[in-house]
Amino acid sequence: MYFREAIDVLLANKVRSLLTILGLIIGVGAVISIQVLGASMAGAVNGLLGGMSDNSFFIVPNTQQRNADEASFKLSDLDAIRRSVDGVAAAIPLAGVNDVVRHGHHAARYFISGESAIPFSNLPVLYGRHIDQRDVDSSAPVCVITNAAYDRLFPGGGDPTGQSVYVGSNRFLIVGVLTAPNRGFINGQFGGDVLIPWTTYDDRYLRNGKFFAARFIATDPGRIGAAETGVIEEMRSLRGKPDLQYQSYDKSQFAQGVNGVFNAMTLIVAFIGAVSLLVAGIGIMNIMLVSVAERTREIGVRKAIGARRSQVLAQFFIEALILCGAGCAIGWAIGIGIGSLVNNVAIVKVTGTIVGVPWAQTIAIAASFAVVVTLAFGTYPAFRAAALDPIEALRYE
Amino acid sequence: MNDGANAIAIDLRDIRKTYENGPLKVPVLHGITFTVEQGEYVAIMGPSGSGKSTLMNLIGCLDRPTSGTYVLDGVDVSKLDDNALADIRLRKLGFVFQGFNLLARTDAINNVALPLFYAGIAGRKRRELAQRTLEAVGLADRGHHQPTQLSGGQQQRVAIARALINDPAVLLADEPTGNLDSKTSEEIMLLFAKLHASGRTIVMVTHDERIAANARRTIRLLDGLVVADTAAPACSA
Repeated sequence: MYFREAIDVLLANKVRSLLTILGLIIGVGAVISIQVLGASMAGAVNGLLGGMSDNSFFIVPNTQQRNADEASFKLSDLDAIRRSVDGVAAAIPLAGVNDVVRHGHHAARYFISGESAIPFSNLPVLYGRHIDQRDVDSSAPVCVITNAAYDRLFPGGGDPTGQSVYVGSNRFLIVGVLTAPNRGFINGQFGGDVLIPWTTYDDRYLRNGKFFAARFIATDPGRIGAAETGVIEEMRSLRGKPDLQYQSYDKSQFAQGVNGVFNAMTLIVAFIGAVSLLVAGIGIMNIMLVSVAERTREIGVRKAIGARRSQVLAQFFIEALILCGAGCAIGWAIGIGIGSLVNNVAIVKVTGTIVGVPWAQTIAIAASFAVVVTLAFGTYPAFRAAALDPIEALRYE
Repeated sequence: MNDGANAIAIDLRDIRKTYENGPLKVPVLHGITFTVEQGEYVAIMGPSGSGKSTLMNLIGCLDRPTSGTYVLDGVDVSKLDDNALADIRLRKLGFVFQGFNLLARTDAINNVALPLFYAGIAGRKRRELAQRTLEAVGLADRGHHQPTQLSGGQQQRVAIARALINDPAVLLADEPTGNLDSKTSEEIMLLFAKLHASGRTIVMVTHDERIAANARRTIRLLDGLVVADTAAPACSA
């Protein structure tokens, strides 16, 4: 009854009701659409990092230091690190190169990088296998490709293992295909699309020359920190220069960096939300007060008939709740619409990562907006109505 | 409900009401004492400023006396709090106003059923009772009409049905014909006479002698005191 009456009253003043909640619609719409975009961006970044083994980290000499050249890794350093640093399971050069990869008359440029028998890539295997220890020991001319390269080079489909591709002028035997996440314009993928044994990479591309940075795999994720310092200490002692500077990166650090960006974004969104809540709430309170004043006589009649204070309060409170609920629901729908549209048109095209709409989160946000605005701005007009003296109210013209 | 001819519906003893407006004290009622038995039909008359509206508000439990006791249908209501007074209004009183005071955009049935909503009675039962009460005031086929679709007399009948739906101990009418032409006024008075005949206790405030003549007893107020309390000659209307 309260609800039906309230809805009748609000529908009798359609334009006014709509204008009243317009602020709420816009505010909630903005916050929800940013939520949808934020979730999508976070998903895209996770997709980018997703192919990277949780245990892997890489260490880069600080280029600003005076003896940066000396700080660079050499193959002999990696041997020493593998031998004497605790917690390091694999150590290979951090290097990669863009080269043309051909199969029959299909060709495209891909990022070629070395891989160890303990894989740096944790992408699931679609066909065949990963690079194994024998491949590494024998510097075998074999490769593992991601499905991005596979789809392009083998448009006919089928298991490509046992067939060969040309990378530059060298022939490689395909031993496996990995499933990489979908990608768009940003063809960023740690590890590249064509993985060959790192020893093979060393023969063909590095030719025992110097390289700059190195990648490692820790024996377990808990020891990444210890392994990082161990590697840096080992390099300093190998060179006899305790002041060499290195920077280490691992997945959790990337995740932290990304989280930092999103936390800042969330803060901004929260601020926009708070401001829009305030503005929308004041608008709603204003109209509710007008409505209470207009209906003074009606309130008097209701009280004369025997309505308790709490029953009049409930009536106006429910009206405010319906206004706010409708505003937030419409705002939510518009926010989801705009967010998904921008997401599909822009973000998915760029990163290729499709992330679902965060339904539960956005519904929770919209619902809490409705409750907060109702409580903060609907309560006072309802109290005003409930507190009216029936005699005065009946006399009101 | 009125077979005990001596049962008292309204018992007012030395009722005084003083309005305080800042330091200014305005005494309006100076000690009103009278009783209304169940089944009586009483008109309260008096010029403006005589205190009849104030008395009406007190009898209607919309206000509390400054001093004195008021027993309504066996309940001392002179010291009750707001919520208790609201319950008394809901269960023991029915109001009929000069300006009808029906809810706009609400059909006759739902207007009549409104007190039952506040009494917590379920929707289907409410509408059944409201329909029956509308029939009793001669508006059986107007249940789904909005107030704006009804004539003044019909609106007042709806208001009377609303006042009767909770079977009140006292029906209070404040200038019930003040907004109606003389022919419609007569119809409403006929309805009141019928209600009186069926045993309803009616207290009506009016300044119109012809309307007051419908009642069986007239209490006249002047300057906050009862100056006359006369039984009308039997039968009118």
